Amino acid sequence: MTDLIMPWISGTLLIVGAFFYAAGTLGLLRFPDVYSRLHALAKADNLGLGFVLLGLALQAESIAVGLKLLLIWPLALAASAGVSYAIARRADSLGVKPWCKDSP
Amino acid sequence: MSLIRILWLRVLLFACLWWILAEGRLDGWLLGGVAVIAATWTSVALWPPPAHGVRLTALPGFLAFFFANSVRGGWQVALMALRGRRALQPAFLELPLNLPAGAPRILLINVLGLMPGTVGIELTGDRLRLHVLHQDLPVVAEARALERRIAALFGATT
Repeated sequence: MTDLIMPWISGTLLIVGAFFYAAGTLGLLRFPDVYSRLHALAKADNLGLGFVLLGLALQAESIAVGLKLLLIWPLALAASAGVSYAIARRADSLGVKPWCKDSP
Repeated sequence: MSLIRILWLRVLLFACLWWILAEGRLDGWLLGGVAVIAATWTSVALWPPPAHGVRLTALPGFLAFFFANSVRGGWQVALMALRGRRALQPAFLELPLNLPAGAPRILLINVLGLMPGTVGIELTGDRLRLHVLHQDLPVVAEARALERRIAALFGATT
């Protein structure tokens, strides 16, 4: 029974993950300034990574391998959160102004 | 929690990590044992046990809150990306923090970057500057909710 359902659940999770990755990349391309782009990368891409890893973990041949895949997520989250704070802070200290709707 | 119990918990945690990294194989446990002891020793040196003990009973609630909000944050920014820049109305915001300095605040800033609408810019003293994707988002209320969760996690008072 699980053999029958598992590939479908896994495949769905991978597709959902791919959607968030695509949305994150779209945000990176379309958003107007460094701060907004960080939102797209920090949130959408990380969520996409979470779904992709969960989908892959369901296909893993052992529990340990599945957990190893899931372990990537908190590590990538920690790195991404730290890096986006560092980039935002540096941009702010360099005087990069946030984009406003009224400005061209 | 007593010191011995904390040490045993950490040893157990690092042993689990080794088991995962070795993908469940049993032939590397000699090296694994050395790695577990070294990791425990390092963790005690970097994060002495009594300071900021995490309450394990509050951990599931915090993780559930975190997952729900990451999905919401990701979904929201994905919709904004599909609509393009007309969906944005960014603003800077100053948020006075109620959490004690150290691990609780660092966790707050990092998690805020994954929550809907906010990215931390700079922490000076007790005030955190945030970048908000849309100024009408209820970010302050959500940041306060996150603060309460983190306070419960560390057993601190806000």
